[in-house]
Amino acid sequence: MDFAGAYSWPNLSFILQGFGMTLLVAALSILFSFVLGTLLGILRYTRVPLLNPLLAVIIDLIRNLPLLLIIYFIYIVLPQLGLKLPPFGAAIAALTLFEGAMISEIVRGGLTSVDRGQIEAARSSGLGYVQTMRHIILPQALRRMAPPLVSQFISLLKDTSLAIIISLPEIMHNVQILQGHSPNYVIPALIVAALLYFAVNYTLSIIARRLEARKI
Amino acid sequence: MKKRSKLGVLLILLAVCLVFAGCGGKKEKDGGTLEAIKARGKVIAGVKYDTKLFGLKDPATGKIEGFDIDIAKALAKKIFGDESKVELKEVTSKTRIPLLQNGDIDLIIATMTITEERKEQVDFSDVYFKAGQSLLVKKGSPIQGLEDIKKGVKVLTAKGSTSAKNIREKAPDATVLEFENYQDAFTALKAGQGDALTTDNAILLGMQKQDPNYIVVGGNFTDEPYGIAIKKGDSEFVQVVNDLLKEMKESGEYDKLYEQWMGVKPE
Repeated sequence: MDFAGAYSWPNLSFILQGFGMTLLVAALSILFSFVLGTLLGILRYTRVPLLNPLLAVIIDLIRNLPLLLIIYFIYIVLPQLGLKLPPFGAAIAALTLFEGAMISEIVRGGLTSVDRGQIEAARSSGLGYVQTMRHIILPQALRRMAPPLVSQFISLLKDTSLAIIISLPEIMHNVQILQGHSPNYVIPALIVAALLYFAVNYTLSIIARRLEARKI
Repeated sequence: MKKRSKLGVLLILLAVCLVFAGCGGKKEKDGGTLEAIKARGKVIAGVKYDTKLFGLKDPATGKIEGFDIDIAKALAKKIFGDESKVELKEVTSKTRIPLLQNGDIDLIIATMTITEERKEQVDFSDVYFKAGQSLLVKKGSPIQGLEDIKKGVKVLTAKGSTSAKNIREKAPDATVLEFENYQDAFTALKAGQGDALTTDNAILLGMQKQDPNYIVVGGNFTDEPYGIAIKKGDSEFVQVVNDLLKEMKESGEYDKLYEQWMGVKPE
C-alpha cells in the first residue's frame, strides 16, 4: 500500500472528478426515473384497460432483469438496431428505465395504500376524478412514498458504479485507472471512494428517516 | 387477468428473440474501414485506459499514453500525414469486439491476444507485441531461463493468477510464493525473499524500467501475441495496418517506440 503516492493531488482530484460524474449521472437519472416512474405508477393505478396489462408485463420484465444486463444491452445491442448512445447517455437511459420501473411500483403501492373510502367520499362530495387524485389521494400517497423513494435513490446512486462495464468515467472507473498506475494505490483509492459514497448516501438515508418520522 | 399477463410475457420474450435473430443475420456490407476513416477525417481507435505501458490515462494531464496509443497515432500519420487525427475511445475486454462490430471504432489496439476463437469474430493484423510469461531476476543471478528454475528455487508471483498456475506446470519442482499483487511480489524480490518473479513480460518490463538492477531473462515461455483487430472481412484495412507495422519496423520507429515504453529493445 502506498497512501502518500495514492493521495497525491492529481490522483485525489481524479477520484473526485469521477465522483462528480457519478453524482451527475445519478442526479439526472433520479430526475428522469422519478418522472417516468410517477407517470407509469399513476397509469397502473388508474387501470386503463388494455394498457394496464401491457404495462404490468413490461414493468415486471424490467424489474426482474439485472441492471448490468440492461446497461450492456443499451450500449452494445441498441446500436445494432440503429440507436447509438455514448456511455453517458446509455448509462442514464439504462438507469432511468430500470429505476423508473422500480419507482412505478413504489408510486402504485403508495396510491393503493390510500383507503378507497376516501375516493368514494371525495367523489360523493362532488370532486371530479382528477380533482380527487390531486387534492385527496396524491398528497397522502406522496408522503407515504417518500421513504421508499429515497432508499431507491440511494440504490440508484450506488448502481451507477455498474456503468464501469461500458467505461463511463465514474468513480470506480477512475479508481481502476489508478490501479493501472500502481497496484499499491488500490486500497487507498477504494477507501476514498467508500468515504465519498458513504457521505452522500448516509445523508440521504438520514433525510429518509426524518421523512419517515414525519409520516404519522 | 393472471393468465393474460403470462401470455404477454411470453409474447414479449418471443419478440425479443426475433429481434436478436434479426441482428444475428445482419450483413455488414457497408464500405471499407479505410474509406470511412477518410470520409470522417480521423481514425477512431479502441484502446485501454487502465493498462500500464500500453494505454494508461494520466490523472494529472488527462492524456492517454502508451505503446498502443503511439501505434494509433502512427496510423493517423500514415493515412492523413498528421498524427493528431486520431480519436481514442476507451474499450474493455468485454466491450471491444461489439464496439468494433457496431462500427463505433475502426480498430482495436488494446493488448488483445490473437486467438483462434477471436479470429472467428474479427480479423487480426500481424503480431505487434510478443506478450507471454517470462522471468525477472536480479542482475547477475544464476537463473537465466525457465530451465534454471529447479528444485529449491523460490519463484514469486501473484495470488491465484494464471502466472502461478503456469509456473507450477512448467517448473513443478520450484517453490512458488504468492503475493497480493505483482508490486508486492516485486518488493519481496528486492528484499531477497525469492530468486525470480514471474508474470506477463509487459509487467516485468515495467518493473525493469522502474529498477534497472532487475532484468527480464530467458524470453517468453508462454505465447500470447498481441494483434490489432479489424472488422471481419476488411482485408484491405488489414493490409493498411500490416503495411504500417512493416514500415515502422523498417524505419526503426517501431524499435524506438518499443524501447521508449518497454525500456529495452525488442528481441
